[in-house]
Amino acid sequence: MAEQVAFHHIEKTSLIGKRIKKPDAPAKATGKTRYINDMVLPGMLYGKILHAGRPHAEIISIDTSATEKLAGVHLVITAKDIPDLKLGFVKDNAPLKDKVRCERDEVAAVAAETEAIAAAAIKLIRVEYKDLPGVFSAEDGLKDGAPVIQERFPDNKSLRFTFKHGDLEKAETGSDIILDDSFNVHYVTHCCMGTSCAIADFDHNGRLTIYSQTQYPYNYKMDLAPALGIDPGDIRVIQPPTGGSFGAKLDIYPFEPVAAILAQKTGRPVKIIFDRQEEFINSPTRQPARIHLRSGCTKDGVLTFRAADVLMDNGAYTSWGPTVPVIMMRTVSGHYRVPVVDFVGQAVYSNNAYAGSFRGYGNVQMTYATAQHMDMLAEKLAEEYNLDPIDFRLKNAQKSGEVTPQKSFLRECALAECLTTAAQATDYVAKLNKYSTEREQPGRYKHGIGLASSIHNAGGAKIHKSDGCGTILKMDDYARVTVITGATEIGQGIDAVIGQIVAEELGVPPEHVTLVNDDSDLGPWDVGVHASRTTFIAGNGARRAAIKAKEQILAAASKRANVAANALDLRGGYVVQDKDGAVVTKLDKMLRQMHFQPEPDVVMVSDYYEPNSEPEGRDHISDHSAAYAHAVHIAEVVVDTLTGEVKLEKITMAQDVGRVINRMGLEAQMEGGVAFGIGFALSEEMLFEQGHLKNPSFRDYKVPTAPDMPEIEMHFIESDCAEGPYGAKGIAELPTIVIAPAIANAVYNATGIRFFNPPMTPEKVARAIWEKKQR
Amino acid sequence: MEMSEIEKYVAPLAVQEAVRILAAGAVTIVAGGTDLTPQINEGRRVYAPTLMNIRRIDQLSRISVDGDNIRIGSLATVAEIRDNELIKDHAAILCQTASHFASEQIRNAATVGGNICNASPAGDMIIPLLVLRAEVELARWQDGAMTVRRVALDQFFTGPGKTVRRDDELLTAVVFKRPSADFIGQFRKSGPRPALEISTVSVGIGGDIKAGRFSNVRVAFGAVGPTPLCGKQTEAALEAKILDHDVIQAAVHAAQQDASPIDDIRATEWYRNHLIGVFTEELLNNVCQN
Repeated sequence: MAEQVAFHHIEKTSLIGKRIKKPDAPAKATGKTRYINDMVLPGMLYGKILHAGRPHAEIISIDTSATEKLAGVHLVITAKDIPDLKLGFVKDNAPLKDKVRCERDEVAAVAAETEAIAAAAIKLIRVEYKDLPGVFSAEDGLKDGAPVIQERFPDNKSLRFTFKHGDLEKAETGSDIILDDSFNVHYVTHCCMGTSCAIADFDHNGRLTIYSQTQYPYNYKMDLAPALGIDPGDIRVIQPPTGGSFGAKLDIYPFEPVAAILAQKTGRPVKIIFDRQEEFINSPTRQPARIHLRSGCTKDGVLTFRAADVLMDNGAYTSWGPTVPVIMMRTVSGHYRVPVVDFVGQAVYSNNAYAGSFRGYGNVQMTYATAQHMDMLAEKLAEEYNLDPIDFRLKNAQKSGEVTPQKSFLRECALAECLTTAAQATDYVAKLNKYSTEREQPGRYKHGIGLASSIHNAGGAKIHKSDGCGTILKMDDYARVTVITGATEIGQGIDAVIGQIVAEELGVPPEHVTLVNDDSDLGPWDVGVHASRTTFIAGNGARRAAIKAKEQILAAASKRANVAANALDLRGGYVVQDKDGAVVTKLDKMLRQMHFQPEPDVVMVSDYYEPNSEPEGRDHISDHSAAYAHAVHIAEVVVDTLTGEVKLEKITMAQDVGRVINRMGLEAQMEGGVAFGIGFALSEEMLFEQGHLKNPSFRDYKVPTAPDMPEIEMHFIESDCAEGPYGAKGIAELPTIVIAPAIANAVYNATGIRFFNPPMTPEKVARAIWEKKQR
Repeated sequence: MEMSEIEKYVAPLAVQEAVRILAAGAVTIVAGGTDLTPQINEGRRVYAPTLMNIRRIDQLSRISVDGDNIRIGSLATVAEIRDNELIKDHAAILCQTASHFASEQIRNAATVGGNICNASPAGDMIIPLLVLRAEVELARWQDGAMTVRRVALDQFFTGPGKTVRRDDELLTAVVFKRPSADFIGQFRKSGPRPALEISTVSVGIGGDIKAGRFSNVRVAFGAVGPTPLCGKQTEAALEAKILDHDVIQAAVHAAQQDASPIDDIRATEWYRNHLIGVFTEELLNNVCQN
């Protein structure tokens, strides 16, 4: 058959920076997606966990006899059935507990034929408790004679992190302005739309298949194995579509080993799924912290030091939450040039809920403090020394090539450009001055404008010795591409980005790229989805694999067409001459020829991409990311000074994204990240009373709704990161990190009141304004 | 989650059929389900053995003029009330309230009868209906026939979630006298966010404005006591007065006397009292401007 060529020359075009649709969006929008929560396996039982519902108690006895007699109940287990199984960052947690240390503690579990029977069954378990006095704050945990929460830690002191750089005393002496404030950053939680769920299934060879929402499938095996007493190699992790994660699934939590133990002991698949109330009570939180921050600068506006003393309520067990100082000690300075840094972070056990990792990872908390201190310094410098607030920031803004005291090498630093872009777009300084004058005049509604900035890792974070990602790429006889990657999809859009990158290199449509990344038996190793790393790391890996495939194809085409391989290119489904796009052959035909030639070959390549960052090491000080990025947010608000309602009018953001890859995905990440930050700033709060969560429902835990979202004007600064794919940097966490202090600074501009204790709820704001008036 | 205890599901097509089912006892009534379902899920309520869906009773959905009265069937949804031309023309305060009720999805499902029977002190639709001096119709099966009684809405509530409705009675309609051409009604609620918000405090004020004077004044408050309540002292402070600064300030003071808010997870007593004053003043200023 003669070769049908629609046109003879194909122009070079690029998909990079275009709007690429997320492949799973139609199915999610129409309800066709089958989430893990929807899954039913043949013969599957339902597991249910009995939670203690009290913060601190000895378990005197557990009587499961009534439960065992209930028809449809297959198994009841307690801690006695599974001694010695441990989990958690310092292995201070267990799947089931023999002592109660927090409200959520897992005391017993059942497996039953139906969800309803399982729910009824746990109500029949009789537990006799002896309540103990509790610890409900980090401060109380440190007091002499405080009840001991974990016997291994008799002083209740959990993790501690320190970083010291430079001579603090000298820096203080050399400062004209010193600020000294305490910020109390509150409890919030992820609120994934898909509640926590796991389905465990053992085969007769002792091998576990676990269907999981995890965002780190490979190390998940390593963490799950000791909680089950099996070899990590005997665990296969399958990741069905998941309804959000945001860091919540970066650790294992007791329901996962409990589901597996129930499956192991019954020989049947077992599913555990939380209802919304269980989700609120039993999910990790964001790490709360009391940040005592001291900042200094000279009257010329040169920053002299930052000292942060961070006290964290560890809760009853140690997940990722109390490790957030690893990022805090880096972001306490590091986008403004701070020569002297003194950081200490101490976690203290209590009988409260415990925290996990959460989008922004410590930096949400730290930037809430540092960006308000920058605003306070800017105000003093403007009032007393007539220094412009943007000039003050620009004077201290770090530049490309600088290395921070924490050893972050700022290869491409666009902070100054972010600052000037956002300030000019909003007419920031003029509005700031106008509103601060207006706030002293009569009137119910007050306008305010606030600016905040931060830095975050944007090229992974080498918390392990490797921060790499494996990729396997194959092409079939029809020029369709399959990419098997270690990178997990939790809704963030790596499916679209990898399709786009591979399509860019191989000259095929993105929809001809299929991603396989839901089965640990297939995928090569990856650290996990965290640290804003996936587009950077997995994107680089996919690109490198695609380039290898392209080289293989062009080498074959070169032989056939008798043209040098480097004079050929792949475009629009064709092999073409690079110089003028003249068609050589169709790509699918070329692939078949390679396959069916006398020395047959298929296109099948692999790659392991390791970023050029340094492992953190014991002191967590190294150039741990292959890139760093900055963002500046400016929030414009109107405060109703009577009701205390803060209405967000507009957000203007300027973020160094390195280079835009998928513009649609990038915009969506910004909007989603900002929504998280708005909730944190204005309305979301887990209310604990004596270790008991008072608002475990969306009725009383207030996530932002669509009408809360303001107009967001986005400016993407393209600094062209040398190491990133096409110059891109990681982007996902900064929008959540920067917005809350921008809002706090705007509320200050409108009211003259600083809010060191978020969230800035209407009542809190109204009360503060009312009290100020009474004075 | 409670184990389901529903033994029978019924979906009558006529009121008479429904009240006969109620007469047999042990029935949970479901209409929009927007309060019932979460309450069941949270274990705050359990299903009775018979679950009766009343949504197929067409006659309960009508909104009509009945002589001097406006009659809203108990199954009229909040969205239907918001969009109804008759209501817009005669009792715009109901439309104003309906547009601030929960979210669009809930407005499409939630019924006015359900909102009343749920008897939440924060029930939004109750406030404007109190302002309109509405009555509810309660039907029951008695001695082989259906009987209907009317209860004034301000006599209907006895406590949080509690009303004078007997278990065998079905709330079939809410009825109020068509307001005069001089009537003006205003509603205001508060919460930390603009949608899906349970009122921290709500205030409704209505009356006739003639030659600058406010008369037939009715004031109602939500979420400041065990039931939605009428502000008798506030009404007295306003009745037949010209709404000048002193009168408004007196009304604000009276409103804070009428209300008996508590501290709870959503707000402190201080904030609720504060908002009662802010909203009363704001609404009276709106009345003046109109």
